[in-house]
Amino acid sequence: MDKNTSILKLKSIQADTNACVTIIENDVKTHEGLLSDMPIALKDNVITKGILTTGGSKLLSNYIPPYSATIVHKIKQAGGIIVAKTSLDELGMGGTGTASFNGIVRNPHDLKRQAGGSSSGSAVVVAAKAVDYAIGSDTGDSVRKPASFVGVVGTKPTYGRISRYGIIPYASSLDHVGYFTSNVSQAARLCDVLSGHDPLDQTSLPYAPTKTLETLSDDVKGKVFGIFEDVIKAISDEETLKNFERLCSALIERGAILKSISMNEDLLRACLPTYYIIANCEATANHSNLTGVNFGLTQSGENVEDIMTQTRTVGFGTLIRKRFIIGSYGLKDENQEKLFRQAQKVRRVVVEEFTKMLNQCDGLLAPATSSCAPLLEGANTNVLSNTHLIAENYMILSNFSGAPSITVPSLPVNGLPHGVNITCKIEDEATMFNMALAIESCVKELL
Amino acid sequence: MDKKTILSLAAELNFSLSEEEVSNIHTEFDSLINLLGLLEKIDTTNVDPMVYPFEMPLTQMREDKVDHEITQSEALMNANVQKEGYVLVPKVVK
Amino acid sequence: MKRDVVIGIEIHCELKTESKMFSGSKNTINDTPNIHVNEIDLGHPGVLPTLNQKAVELALRACMLTHCKIDTLLKFDRKNYYYSDLPKGFQITQQFHPVGKDGYLDIVVEGKTKHVRLDRIHMEEDTAKQYHIDEHTYIDYNRAGVPLIEIVSKPDMSSALEAKEYVSTLRNLLIFADVTDGKMEEGSMRCDINISLKEAGSTVFGTKVEIKNLNSLNNIDKAIEAEIKRQNDLLDQGEVVLMQTRRYDETLKTTVAMRSKESAVDYRYFPEPNIRPILLQPSFIETVSNSLPWTPTKWFEYLIDLGANEIEANILINNKTLLDFGSIVLKEVKDTRLGLNWIISELTSYMNSLGEKLFETLNAYDFALFLNLISDKVISGKQAKDVLKWMIESGKDAQTLVEEHGLKVVSDDSSLLNWIDEAIKENPQSVIDFKQGKDRAVGFIVGQVMKKSKGQADPAQCNALVRQRFLEQ
Repeated sequence: MDKNTSILKLKSIQADTNACVTIIENDVKTHEGLLSDMPIALKDNVITKGILTTGGSKLLSNYIPPYSATIVHKIKQAGGIIVAKTSLDELGMGGTGTASFNGIVRNPHDLKRQAGGSSSGSAVVVAAKAVDYAIGSDTGDSVRKPASFVGVVGTKPTYGRISRYGIIPYASSLDHVGYFTSNVSQAARLCDVLSGHDPLDQTSLPYAPTKTLETLSDDVKGKVFGIFEDVIKAISDEETLKNFERLCSALIERGAILKSISMNEDLLRACLPTYYIIANCEATANHSNLTGVNFGLTQSGENVEDIMTQTRTVGFGTLIRKRFIIGSYGLKDENQEKLFRQAQKVRRVVVEEFTKMLNQCDGLLAPATSSCAPLLEGANTNVLSNTHLIAENYMILSNFSGAPSITVPSLPVNGLPHGVNITCKIEDEATMFNMALAIESCVKELL
Repeated sequence: MDKKTILSLAAELNFSLSEEEVSNIHTEFDSLINLLGLLEKIDTTNVDPMVYPFEMPLTQMREDKVDHEITQSEALMNANVQKEGYVLVPKVVK
Repeated sequence: MKRDVVIGIEIHCELKTESKMFSGSKNTINDTPNIHVNEIDLGHPGVLPTLNQKAVELALRACMLTHCKIDTLLKFDRKNYYYSDLPKGFQITQQFHPVGKDGYLDIVVEGKTKHVRLDRIHMEEDTAKQYHIDEHTYIDYNRAGVPLIEIVSKPDMSSALEAKEYVSTLRNLLIFADVTDGKMEEGSMRCDINISLKEAGSTVFGTKVEIKNLNSLNNIDKAIEAEIKRQNDLLDQGEVVLMQTRRYDETLKTTVAMRSKESAVDYRYFPEPNIRPILLQPSFIETVSNSLPWTPTKWFEYLIDLGANEIEANILINNKTLLDFGSIVLKEVKDTRLGLNWIISELTSYMNSLGEKLFETLNAYDFALFLNLISDKVISGKQAKDVLKWMIESGKDAQTLVEEHGLKVVSDDSSLLNWIDEAIKENPQSVIDFKQGKDRAVGFIVGQVMKKSKGQADPAQCNALVRQRFLEQ
């Protein structure tokens, strides 16, 4: 795909989908590499020097950064051309694509439906075939869920595989850089481009970039696919279940071994509240820099405190302020032990269990979401149901543990895209892409 | 969480909430309590908090050298008011 | 009523590193505003901290010198609060796992050794510098992220004198270890003093008052004396001491309230997720320990061994810059005594007028060569003073200046005798005077020779030769 086609396409879908915050027409190729001439979109929480970076927040709606994220340098060095900054739920907090300062993002397959979030715009631009590559970020499932809803590949490598330097954070201990591609081979290619140690990110893994593209194969003979039973049990949508069975059969035909694996239900049901507390507590502190003192949409005020208060009141949406209230409550002296610290402890218990599950197989497979993308209006969830707590949110397990995880489009549900997710052992992206490629070819055959 | 707590948290966080927002948070907090109940249920006796996904300590630190500065104009370009190379705000009452 | 004074001290020390605690911008505060910054110091979105190894080394030095137990697993925490000098909205510090714990410092007060226990030493980052002028506050982020250690004592001191001696001893120790430049007036070392009074002999502590930001040893002394008096007066009148943060007002010569501390701030400390714990290897700690610079005590012994007297040794120990300079000079110079004399008398007076600028033009090796010119009698002591002045003014070395000004002492007999003979020939009366016992004739001829040689003749040598010539006549 060339740059001009990409930009025309981005413009043509903008009115319907609201996928972009900024379309960038003047970037050019500066190097040759794995991405030569490839147009690429960035979630608008990826810091770009000299180019508006809003993080989806009104508070940053005038912010022109003085530096670029490490991955921006990597993309440029690999020959990529940056064509857009895409819409996201404000500061990455939200899973629906409805909480951005610049309006709702819509699913290109059905404009009445969600694209999922928070990396909504990046998911949409790949789904609409405006680009083959788009960067997102994934704190809970912010890449892998929208990937399922719009029918593209959504990848989140191991924690620290890709530098977080220059990504506006949500929750530092859960944040991963992830991305969307049109197919699995491109996903492996982008992993090789973006991965590698970054001296500016002390939590980045101390290794050279991966070489997953070279060894990519769809041969899964003898590979053990763990089937995440608790997730299957929590899904009631029959088409989703039937599709998943068909996929499993196709994998068995290719010589894969399927093995049913499950986890303690109480622990699984505790994952979402654990996530909610850790993420909001970290986020509250992470965004204390957004005060309007030296950057941002500064509001006027009589004194500094007043300026900060006005700026943060006008600058943050309702949802964000609500989450900060929860986060601040969880960190409060008298609550910290029973909320934040308890959540961190439960995280450890959960990760230990999850690691045991991963050790019983080569990769853990389940439908990425319980069904196709929900409608923007009229969606009603029972927050204590297993469908919500487990089937819709189990992918946060790989954020807790840092394990690599990928969503691959599967057979459609209700005639709309739907994906399956595979999660592998820490640092084992090679197996993850191998299994994902096998799924991709199975689905092609089944369609 | 009562409304007074919500308002005092908002004040500490340096933002305001409308009455409607306070009411919504107040209502939502009731259902959040149920959710947090699931968290409390897990036995974490003798479990340490998990702060980082990977806990193996590092041994490398950054070498002490000056290799990363931006210019004064880059530093100030996003500030609302700047003067003589400084970021300017109303006098901070000590 | 007789009351005991209880004093504990918290000291913030800026560390002498090249770069900042968590970023690669320059650690310097006296410069054009906002030029030694990057996005990390400014707290821009998306930035991450990376820990400076040198800062860790310097913190370890401080721990070793104060006998603290070192925690070899470094961990950092966030202290959350909103303030215009804190761009991230939190400070990265070590609340839960300080690098050093349970140390002590022995100080000498009026001839007696006093044992002061240290509670902890932890690493953290400095805030931006703010200047409050008229209706505005000017923010300079050059200081944001400068590495700090905070040294917290136990409440073991009981007088202003002890407090002052504690700070002074600690300061010298840290300056000598190159941990900090210790410039209190410039804020690179800042003291907060906690002070309370209790009934003599009682184990019940009184209400604690914190005096913030004392910026000289003198002010520590004065502030504590004033605060003791204030609290004593209050208690005498049956009033209560409020838990407060106060500052010392130099004009009013008393402490004044800054804010009440009744409602403790909840800083919501929690572990910093962006800095994974760092394990200090035994080899690393050993290297730091082996590279510890000499302590003031060690220097004192060394200087005495070199032949300095106690006064001289103390002058040098209280002036680390001069000592650093002098220690090189004393290694290079042929005559140590001569070296000590010049360092103590001439250089201290130049330092009084020029400060550290003196060492921008004067280099220790040049200065040693200069002193050797004196001991080799190439120049006279009188000429030497001029030469030193020119060296400092021009930055040129002594040899060059001696040649430029034609200053070399002429002491070879044949050149001197040429001038002497010429002078005697021009003044025959001098021979007669000498023979009549008028010794001043010698001085007269030497004077003539000095004129003829434009001051280059070696006067002592000349004197001897004139005497010899008169006797030969």
